[in-house]
Amino acid sequence: MMQYASLLIALPLFSAFLVPLIKRAGKKVILYYLSLVTLIQTGIAAWVFKEVYTSGKPIIVIAGGFKPPVGINLYIGHFAALFILIIAVVSFFMAVFSIKAINVDPIDKYAMLFLLLMLGATGMIATGDIFNLFVFMEITAISAYALTGYNKTGEASEAAMKYIVLGGIGSSFFLVGIALLYGSLGTLNLAQIAMLASKINPTVAQAALALLVFGLAVEAELFPLNAWAPDAYQASPHPVTVMFSAFVVKAGIYAMIRIVYLFKDTQAFMGILNLLLILGTLTVIIGELSALRQTNVKRMLAYSSIAQVGLIAVGFGVATPQAVDAAVFHMLNHAIVKTLMFLAVGYVAVTFGSPHMENFKGLGKRMPLTAFAITVGAISIVGIPLFNIFWSKFKLLLAALQVGKTGIVALILGASLVEAVYYFRLLHLMWFEDGKGEKIEEDLALGIIMLLLVALIVVIGVYPDFVWGIVQKASADLYNVAQYVKNVPLLQGVSP
Amino acid sequence: MISAYYFGAISLILIGLYAILTKRNLLKILVGLSIMETGVNLLLISVGYVSGRTAPILTEGATPQTTVDPIPQALVLTAIVIGVATTALALTVAINLYEKYKTLDIEKIRGLRG
Repeated sequence: MMQYASLLIALPLFSAFLVPLIKRAGKKVILYYLSLVTLIQTGIAAWVFKEVYTSGKPIIVIAGGFKPPVGINLYIGHFAALFILIIAVVSFFMAVFSIKAINVDPIDKYAMLFLLLMLGATGMIATGDIFNLFVFMEITAISAYALTGYNKTGEASEAAMKYIVLGGIGSSFFLVGIALLYGSLGTLNLAQIAMLASKINPTVAQAALALLVFGLAVEAELFPLNAWAPDAYQASPHPVTVMFSAFVVKAGIYAMIRIVYLFKDTQAFMGILNLLLILGTLTVIIGELSALRQTNVKRMLAYSSIAQVGLIAVGFGVATPQAVDAAVFHMLNHAIVKTLMFLAVGYVAVTFGSPHMENFKGLGKRMPLTAFAITVGAISIVGIPLFNIFWSKFKLLLAALQVGKTGIVALILGASLVEAVYYFRLLHLMWFEDGKGEKIEEDLALGIIMLLLVALIVVIGVYPDFVWGIVQKASADLYNVAQYVKNVPLLQGVSP
Repeated sequence: MISAYYFGAISLILIGLYAILTKRNLLKILVGLSIMETGVNLLLISVGYVSGRTAPILTEGATPQTTVDPIPQALVLTAIVIGVATTALALTVAINLYEKYKTLDIEKIRGLRG
């Protein structure tokens, strides 16, 4: 029964290769087919989620009947189950949005790359092998490059090129890190690496981890390697932007944290945590300050998204159980809110042609539902109580106070203040300025999706306890490395 | 002797990185990226190399004692394939950029700002 969880990887892959056959039935059919596949994926992910959370045990899929570390295993614990569900749900919403938003040819290639992007992110989160992680990272990255350049305008090509060059540097760093780890431990299995972590020379471990962190920082949008992100967010098709912000980043940061936390009990850990704290802090400061002076709303949201990822990295850098809880909670909340925001802004851009500030004038009168969705999202990101991000920011603040890091408290509060400035400017523009043009009939399916997300934001904001329980289980999966090692059925007697 | 391989691999990585960071022509940057990937592949291979042993192919007389470590070689095969895909995609994008901007100079390709 457990082996069915491998369908999470197999289904998108097979469906992606079926797209050329579906193409014969007509172009519009492809996008409906995409929605169907992502819906089935959501169903499987929901089943896996239920299975993991009711049994309390992770699902471990062993490929080919070879036990790890000889074979490759998938590890779907509490964290992976939660985020695979998020990936599937967001992909389904975006497949529905694509029906409206994508009208540039070749649509069949778009559907293929869309499925591969979903597959790559799912694989990055589910895998239990560091080289397998590299392969999934490259699947994600290559489909992301191609989707960034999908519109084939000069800007899209430019953004894709930046992404390719940075991604190439990142993947090379990542491979060198793998080479160092393999050279000193002789294994690629994450659980076995964790088991042997104390045997590695601390300097080598630190160098390897630093290289791995820099390699993944490209996907995770941490400061020195995130120059591609605003351009790619601005130039890629609107559904793809949502996918980048909602789960590609999350998969990158999860992989980074999983690898770093494997070395929790070694000397190398403290140094890497400091690196994470510094990178995260710089990411927050630069992201927020750049967001202030944007006139393109999509680009502004991209910078805001980068800053939020910085906050998540800071949370993981503090590395107490409370801080990890808060960071995972923030990952979840950010995925929900940014899906809503980019969806609404993308919808406005599809309707009026571009996501420029001009087009948001008087939006409250022209597209009330969309404007309402943007308003709720913006208020939530700023961290007003009764909305979901308030709780994750608040928990992060408490966790930072517990270890006496007042600098982080100041960082979180300062970031919220800057966010308030640029989001309220947008809200003012939408509700209190007069725009030209008549009221526009809004799309029913998109309206329902937006209302669902708004409801989720408010429900988590008012009753955070239920989701908080789920998040605590998920973050325990990340923090409790000893349990992780115990869960993976390593073949006895095989040692490097 | 083994250190010569490490030295060569790391110099290739650094040459590639230098080309990426300093060149203005897009194609030269992509060549730099390829050189860097080659260096990384060489590094991975030399991690698994044991002096005086043969290739890890299942033939008569090949035992774990007479061959080098096969895992890095399998990894490098995968990495080479990924590298080819990335390079091909990058060149496609470069063609598209040249059609749109009529130049490959990255100083002049600046449609996105801010």
